[in-house]
Amino acid sequence: MCPEPRLHRVLHRRLTTLGCALASTLLAACGGSDAPASTASDTGGTLIVVVPAEPATLFPPQVIGTQGGAVISAIFDRLAEIGPALETYGDAGFQPRLARTWQWASDSLSIAFELDSAARWHDGAPVRAADVVYTFRAYTDDSIGADAKSLLGNIDSVTARDARTAVFWFKRRMPQQFYDATYPMHILPSHLLDTIPMSQVGRSAFARAPIGTGRFRFVRWDAGQRIEVMTDTANARGRAMLDRVIWTIAPDFGAATVRLFAGEADFLEMVRPENLPQLAQTPSLRMVMNPALSYNFVALNQRDPADTTKPHPVFGDSLVRRALAMGIDRTRLVRNVLDSLGAVALGPAPRALIPDTTAFTQLPYDVAAARALLDSAGWRDTDNDGVRDKNGRALAFDISVPNSSPTRQRFAVLLQEQYKALGVKASPVLLDINALIERNASLRFDSYLGGWATYPGLTGVRQTWMSTGESNEVRYRSRRFDAYADSALSSFDAAKSRGYWANAFQQAVNDVPALWLYEQRAPVVLHKRFIVPPLRPDGWYADLADWKVDPAQRIDRDRIGLGTAGAAR
Amino acid sequence: MAAAFAAATFAFVCIQLAPGDPVTALGEGVPEAVRDRLRAVYGYDSSIGTQYIRWLAALLRGDFGFSTAQQRPALDVVLDALGNSLVIVLPGVALAMLFGMLLGAWQGIHAKTRGDRIVSTFMAALYAMPEFSLALILLLLFSVIWPVLPAGGMVDDMHAYYAPWKQVSDRVRHLVMPVLVIALVDAAALARYQRQSMRDVLDQPFVRAAYGAGLPSRLVRMQAWRASLLPVLTLLGILLPVNLLGVVFVEQAFAWPGLGLAFFNAINARDYAVVAACVIVEGVVIAIAGFAVELLREAADPRLRLHEADYQRGHG
Repeated sequence: MCPEPRLHRVLHRRLTTLGCALASTLLAACGGSDAPASTASDTGGTLIVVVPAEPATLFPPQVIGTQGGAVISAIFDRLAEIGPALETYGDAGFQPRLARTWQWASDSLSIAFELDSAARWHDGAPVRAADVVYTFRAYTDDSIGADAKSLLGNIDSVTARDARTAVFWFKRRMPQQFYDATYPMHILPSHLLDTIPMSQVGRSAFARAPIGTGRFRFVRWDAGQRIEVMTDTANARGRAMLDRVIWTIAPDFGAATVRLFAGEADFLEMVRPENLPQLAQTPSLRMVMNPALSYNFVALNQRDPADTTKPHPVFGDSLVRRALAMGIDRTRLVRNVLDSLGAVALGPAPRALIPDTTAFTQLPYDVAAARALLDSAGWRDTDNDGVRDKNGRALAFDISVPNSSPTRQRFAVLLQEQYKALGVKASPVLLDINALIERNASLRFDSYLGGWATYPGLTGVRQTWMSTGESNEVRYRSRRFDAYADSALSSFDAAKSRGYWANAFQQAVNDVPALWLYEQRAPVVLHKRFIVPPLRPDGWYADLADWKVDPAQRIDRDRIGLGTAGAAR
Repeated sequence: MAAAFAAATFAFVCIQLAPGDPVTALGEGVPEAVRDRLRAVYGYDSSIGTQYIRWLAALLRGDFGFSTAQQRPALDVVLDALGNSLVIVLPGVALAMLFGMLLGAWQGIHAKTRGDRIVSTFMAALYAMPEFSLALILLLLFSVIWPVLPAGGMVDDMHAYYAPWKQVSDRVRHLVMPVLVIALVDAAALARYQRQSMRDVLDQPFVRAAYGAGLPSRLVRMQAWRASLLPVLTLLGILLPVNLLGVVFVEQAFAWPGLGLAFFNAINARDYAVVAACVIVEGVVIAIAGFAVELLREAADPRLRLHEADYQRGHG
C-alpha cells in the first residue's frame, strides 16, 4: 500500500507541478482571479444541522466529539487532506490543502511542506510556517491536553525552514508518518495566539470565535442555541458551495426529529429504527448511508475485579471465552436490535478499515460446541439450578451498560436470554456513563458493552487492543497478536502488511478478548434538495464545502445570500 | 446569602462524591492517558478538600470558577441561562396567576356545582400530567400536525437575517408553547389552592356579616378574594424559583437554553463550578422571590402590616 518514498516523491512533485501549471493556464485563459470560479447557480443555500449538544470549545486541539469536529473541520484546514479511501500509508491519496507541495528527505526522516502562498487566514494575514510550528507546539503541550497528542508520538519536532516551508522531523521511519504529520492537526494562527500563555489559550476568546483558513469562516455562536459559519468568498481554494451552515442545538432527540420533520432543520446525524416509517412517509427527506468508523463489543475483563493481579475467574480461561462467543447468534441479535441498520462486527476494527475481511474466519454459532467447551472447561450444572458452576462458583457475570444507550441495553437483554439457554447467568447492569467509565478505568467490572470510534488507518489498534495500549481496558495480553499487529503497522510492503493484519485479526477472533458484536450502519437524514458527495467514513462533514443545493429546489432560507446578519429580508 | 453559600457548598461536595468527574463526563472513547492529562490541567487530580479550598478562595474574590463543559466562566453560563429562563418563566407564572386565581376563585364561589366539578377534573388532569408530555403534545399539535408554531429554540435559526418587525414576531412565536406549558401547569396548581382558600374565606364570619349587612355581593366577593390570596401568594413565592430550575424538561423539549437545562447538563457533565454557581444564583432568586411575596402578602392583607407595627411598638 505504501509507495516507495523516493519514487513517490518524484511522482508527486511532477504531478503537482503539472497540476499547478494546468490550473494557472486555465485561470489565465478565463482572465480570472486566484480563486477557482464557481457558477452562480451552483452556489448558495443554507444547511441547518440539528445536533443534540454544543461543543465545549472550538479550539481545535481541545475539540472532542463530532459536534465540535464538524465545525472546526469547516473553519480550519490541515496541511494535506486524506483521500476518500482513507489511505494512511505514505502520502498516497493525500490532497494538498494549506501545503501546496511536500518533499520527503532522502532518509524519509523528515518532510518539508511548502505552504500555499495564496493561503490567508480569515483576518487576511498570510499563512506562515510559524503557524505550523506553533500548531505542533499547541497539540503536544501538556497544559492543552489534546486528545490527538498520542498520535504525534513519532514526530520529534517541527521547524520553519523559511516563512513558507515547515519541516517535520520524525523519530523513526514509519509507513504512517505522513498521516501523523497531517491528519491529527488543524493549523492554528500563531499571529493571534502566540502571545497567550499556552495554559490560557483554550479559555481565550479565540476558542469561542475562531479564525481559520477553511472555506467557511466563523460567524456566530449563540450559547446553547446555534453555531453559524458562512462561506469565505476570498478563500484561495474557492468559496464553499453553500452560503452558510448552521448547527442548531436540540437536546431532546424526539424534539430534534420534530424540527427535522417540520422542515426547520435539514440534517440529522443519527436516525433510530423507530423513525424509519415516518421517514418513508416524508418525501422531502432522504437517508444517506454514513459508513462511520466505529464498532461495538462486549469487552471481557481478563483480570479479577477483586484482585487485578489474578486472572478473572470466568474470562481468564480462553475456552470459556470461546464458548461464550460461539453460544450467541450475533446475526439474529443484530437483526433484532438494529434491523437493517447494523452488521455483525468482525474483529477489533470496523470492517471499512480491515484490509481484507475474507482473509480470516469467524467463530461459528454452535450452541452444542459451546456447551461442550464449557463442559470441558469444568463448568457444569451440578446443582440443577439452570446455571453452570465450578468449585462452588456459578458461571455468572455482569454486563455493564451505559443507561444513555437504549441500543446497548437491548443488546444486553437479548444476550442475557441467549446465555440463559447455555446455562450462563449474564446480568445487565445499567450505569451512568461516569460511573461506567470510572469502573472501567479501575478494572472493577466483569464485562461491559462498549464501542470505539476510530481514526482512519489501523494505528488505533495499538492503543486499544495491544498489550501496551493505554486504552486496553480488558488487559488483553497476546504476544502473537502484538507481533502481528506491530509488523502490520511497521511494514512498508502492502501485501505483507495485509497478511499480518489477517493473522492479527484471526488471533483476536480466536482469543475472544471481547465478543465482537455489531457495527451500526448509521444513515444520516438529509433534505432532498442537497446534492452531496459520498460521505467520508471519518466524518460526514469532511467535504462539506462541496455540498450544493439543487437550484430548482431552493427554499426561502437558501435565497438569503451572503447578506450580513441583521440585514432586512 | 449565607444559606445560598451553604447550599452551594453542599452541592459542591455532593457532586464531588458522585461517580466520575468532568473528565469521565467527556464520554467513552477517550484514552485514560488523555483523561489523566486533562485532570492535571483542570486540577481534578487534587483531593476534594484542596479543590474546595481553591473554589472557596476564588469565590471570595468574586470568581465563580470556570465551566469545563462550556469553557467559559461559570457565572457567564449561569447568568445567560437565568436570563433565558426568566423570559419564559415570568410570563408563564404571570399567566398562571391570572387564570389560576380567577378560575380558582370562580370555583370557590361555585363550589360543588357541575361547572366546578368539570373544571376541577380538567385541572387535576393538567396538574397530574408531566410537563414534558404536555410539551410534546403541543409540539405534535402545533408544529407537526398543524404547523403554525416553531418546534423549538428561542428564535429561528435565520433570525439574524430577518427584518426588525419579523424578528419581534419570531421571538413571540417561539415563546408561545413553552410559556403555555408553564402557565397551564402552574395555573392548575394555583387554581386548586385558590379554590380551597376562597371556600374557606367565604365561610368566615366577616363574609356572612357583610352579606347580612346587605353589601353588594360583587363587593363582598372581591373582599373575600383579596383575603383568600395569602396562601396562594405563598405558593407563588415557591413556584417562581421552582420554575427557574424545575422546568428542565420543558426547556429540553423546546431546546430552550435556560437555567434548569444548564443545571441538569452541568450535573451530567460533572461541571462542578456551574453546579455551585446555579445553586448560589437560585438561592439569591429564592430570597428575592420571598421578599417580593412578603410585600404582596402585606398589600393583600393590611393586617400583616398592622401586626408588624404592633410587634415593633410592643418591643420599642
